[in-house]
Amino acid sequence: MRDDALLTSTIGSFPKPEYLTKARAALAQGKIGEAELKAAEERATRETIALQEELGLDVLVDGEMYRGDMATYFAENTDGFAVSGLVRSYGNRYYRKPILTGPVRRRGPITVEWWKWAQSLTKKPMKAIITGPYTMMDWSFDEHYASRREACLDLARALHEEVRDLEAAGARWIQIDEPALSVRVDELDLAIAAMAIVTEGIRARTLTHICYGTFEQIYPRLLDLAVDEFDLAMADTGFALVDHFGKHPFTKIFGLGVFDVHTHVVEPVASMRAGIEKTLRYLPPERVTVVPDCGLKTRTWDEAKDKLVHLVAAVKQVREGL
Amino acid sequence: MIASALGSYPRIGEGAEAQRLRRAIQKFQAGGLTRDELRAVEDGVTAEVLGEQAAAGVDWVTDGLVRWEDGQTHFTDRLHGFRRGQLLRYFDTNTYYRQPVAVGPVRWQGPIAIEDFRFAAAHSTQPVRPVVTGPYTLARLCADEHYHDLEAFALDLARALNTELRGLEAAGATMLQVDEPALTWHPEDEPLARRLLAQLVGGVTVPVWVALYLGPVTPLLDRVAEWPVAGVWLDCVTEPAAVARLAARPPAEPLRLGLGVVDARNTRLEEAAALSATLARVAERAGADRVAATTSAGLEFLPRQRAREKLARLAEAARLAGAAVSGKGA
Repeated sequence: MRDDALLTSTIGSFPKPEYLTKARAALAQGKIGEAELKAAEERATRETIALQEELGLDVLVDGEMYRGDMATYFAENTDGFAVSGLVRSYGNRYYRKPILTGPVRRRGPITVEWWKWAQSLTKKPMKAIITGPYTMMDWSFDEHYASRREACLDLARALHEEVRDLEAAGARWIQIDEPALSVRVDELDLAIAAMAIVTEGIRARTLTHICYGTFEQIYPRLLDLAVDEFDLAMADTGFALVDHFGKHPFTKIFGLGVFDVHTHVVEPVASMRAGIEKTLRYLPPERVTVVPDCGLKTRTWDEAKDKLVHLVAAVKQVREGL
Repeated sequence: MIASALGSYPRIGEGAEAQRLRRAIQKFQAGGLTRDELRAVEDGVTAEVLGEQAAAGVDWVTDGLVRWEDGQTHFTDRLHGFRRGQLLRYFDTNTYYRQPVAVGPVRWQGPIAIEDFRFAAAHSTQPVRPVVTGPYTLARLCADEHYHDLEAFALDLARALNTELRGLEAAGATMLQVDEPALTWHPEDEPLARRLLAQLVGGVTVPVWVALYLGPVTPLLDRVAEWPVAGVWLDCVTEPAAVARLAARPPAEPLRLGLGVVDARNTRLEEAAALSATLARVAERAGADRVAATTSAGLEFLPRQRAREKLARLAEAARLAGAAVSGKGA
């Protein structure tokens, strides 16, 4: 079996430990300074990396401990953005949304230092993860641009600089998340044009993550996005979407989501294994990565850990049978 | 010209006091608050939201839908025949809902929105319009493990919601709103929607308005005059060409036209004069009495402060447009 068969990884975020949430609140109340918050973020990052090594995952993430919302974090570190008052995401969850207030320009590297530091803590590959241009555009209010296209392509140019710097710093896996593009079929061409700008000339393995939309309407056109790998939510629909690969072959590397991140229930190893085995009917193991459906930040630390233990066990069982 | 809120209103704002509902829900979910205690907080926020809308100067208000978790489960949790399923994105908004799953025959089993309406009506200086998510949109946004037939499923929803609408009328509602955003994404289903509306409004005597938003409305404009309703709220922002189409060929009388001219999904604050010009353009052709002004969708996509400012602009624009059109007519 090839070394790259059924690699295991995660999408990006991990649950924030209570001491980090408290440190963030304390900073907002002026009770601690930036340095103390950063120390808490670093501690949480170290713990996240240690957990992934303990579990035996193949490709690691830094857990995004220093990011609040995945779009707002990039907006806060890019020229041309302001941040809004609180808006509701769902249920009782709220976040501050980016506002485009001027032309988007990268001020300087956004995630590069964090990535370098996280990679220095492990010998395993560390993914570099950014939020993609289409999602940044779609998830921002826009008080500046005349059209969505103009905003999206400006964002793509700024994010290309970030990807280029991540690659130069040594990143071998660069993930450009585009969760927003699973909804507007009519704008898929725009997302494809933007991604081509972001990954132009990049030789690192590029990935994108997409979730919670109408996959059946954007597949197989989706495969035209200029990335090597797609990490997709599949467990939340009971792996039914995998059957689309029977009609239209999946031509790239497939990151199979094997557990739902929005339920407390820890799915049994057998169900994750069944999802992997189903996928292997359509794809060879070296073109399948096994991941959760989405980021883990909505789960507790223990839930995330238990689910990942099962993920690793399911992959081990399948590998042994190959 | 009437200025009206369309539905949702931001339920929290900046600062601790403005976030008391968020804290109360957290506490309730953790078992630290009873259902009645949570309801008392919802009551307070509802009264506040009603007051803010009135202060902004709009003529017609809603209760802000502050008690709704989302437009789907608020109804399906209280109807017979559903369970909750996966988390799903709501249209192209970056907001989510728990997708209801139909697992048995859909039936009304008790009042859903009636107590909420009574409370709002008792605490408002302006007429309150109760909002119900329509049967077509509910059927489209739910998973169906029981009917395996969109029309049969949606018709049962229409029957169940008809009971709710008649209950709202009996409780004193002087007008009703049915939200059908999904129809803007599937205009090909207009004939089905019309059959559903006939079922939905049977026995209802107060004016019913259908709200169409989050997608293009022009594919529906040739048909809306045939619907058994008093008015339609039309999103004129998602598809800006809707205004020109309405000004050139407004749907036939007596249907009333509520123009959603204020962008409920972007923080950019419109000028009242520009909004007024848009409203007047349609009103001059369709008749000032038939036209009302509203937002392109519910305001919950915006931060609270901006929502308040946008409603005030809307009210000002409606006054300006009303004066401009009646001035010309005189």
